Amino acid sequence: MFSTKEFIEASRNYVCVRLESYESEEHQQLVRSFLNGRFENTAFCILEPDAETRLTGSSRSPHHIMGRTNDQVIAEMTRIAKLYRKKGGDREMALQDFHSFRQALNVASADQRLLLFVSGNGGDLEKVKSTLRPVFADSDVMGRFHLDFADENSDADWTGTVSRSSDAPGMYLIQADRFGQHGAVVAAIPLTVESADLKSALLEANREFAESEARKVYSDHVSEGREKNVFFKNGMPYGEDRDGDGKIDPRGAKGGKGRKGRGGGAEGRGRPAEVEKEL
Amino acid sequence: MVLGPVLPCMNRILSILTITGLAVCSAFSQGPRPNDLGASPQPVGAPGVMWYTTWETAKEEARRSNRPVFFMAAAATCSGISGVF
Repeated sequence: MFSTKEFIEASRNYVCVRLESYESEEHQQLVRSFLNGRFENTAFCILEPDAETRLTGSSRSPHHIMGRTNDQVIAEMTRIAKLYRKKGGDREMALQDFHSFRQALNVASADQRLLLFVSGNGGDLEKVKSTLRPVFADSDVMGRFHLDFADENSDADWTGTVSRSSDAPGMYLIQADRFGQHGAVVAAIPLTVESADLKSALLEANREFAESEARKVYSDHVSEGREKNVFFKNGMPYGEDRDGDGKIDPRGAKGGKGRKGRGGGAEGRGRPAEVEKEL
Repeated sequence: MVLGPVLPCMNRILSILTITGLAVCSAFSQGPRPNDLGASPQPVGAPGVMWYTTWETAKEEARRSNRPVFFMAAAATCSGISGVF
């Protein structure tokens, strides 16, 4: 559903946020707050623009909270969005960022998008953001790339995992490898670039990327990862806490108390197939 | 005579078994088996959802633009294998 034209169109009237479930304790606490104390690796909810008031129940699938079919979910999203009048111009929008380059690279790999990584400092960075805003608000660019700003602490060693990288301040357009733990710079762009030139550089790189990159097949990817012993160490241990006792359940444990959540439906019964297939 | 009602019933049972099979994950999370999952139908390079990837930036943008929030949490790994949603 998330890759359909209809969903993408409906999503433009929302601020869509997708947090990595295993990235940090903070992310897991947020998930628990939506799932009545449980931790499961997917969670969904629609909130008001204050980002606090919930407009729907919360559950591990949008189908549990907004309709059983994709069409129903999209219709409900559209209905809710019409209740709000958008304010401000896109040129003032908040820019995407990640907590770490490591996560950004892996997410870029998983989504099969190029990652624009911005390494700069203080005053430069504010200027750069004013260059980036109109570009990332442009409908030709929106939703085609990921964007990350260097964090001087967590990203100090980013060059170690990316070929053709440099310590020099700049914008680096990076193609993540298959498992998102390494990458290569496909274009280095000066921080002083004009918005129009940046847009051209991004779209040209994206065109080449699209021609050379084949869609991953989930099952083949996982099989290959197992054969190669690929493992991504995340900030939190893998697993779920379906009974909400604060501890990750042993593998194979059945769901416990999880069915009383606001979202109702199949909470606690396992990750719904439609979620897995469509992420 | 009996097969009339039995066949639809069998179909329903098979459907239930199939769904149940999908729901028993071989990974940590008891979702569908990775072997049951394919590729995204969206071409590489095509525009997708514009995701914010920190809660702070999403909140800032929602309040600024007065747009509702579509919240999602998901893992960009399967059984610790990276590079896949």
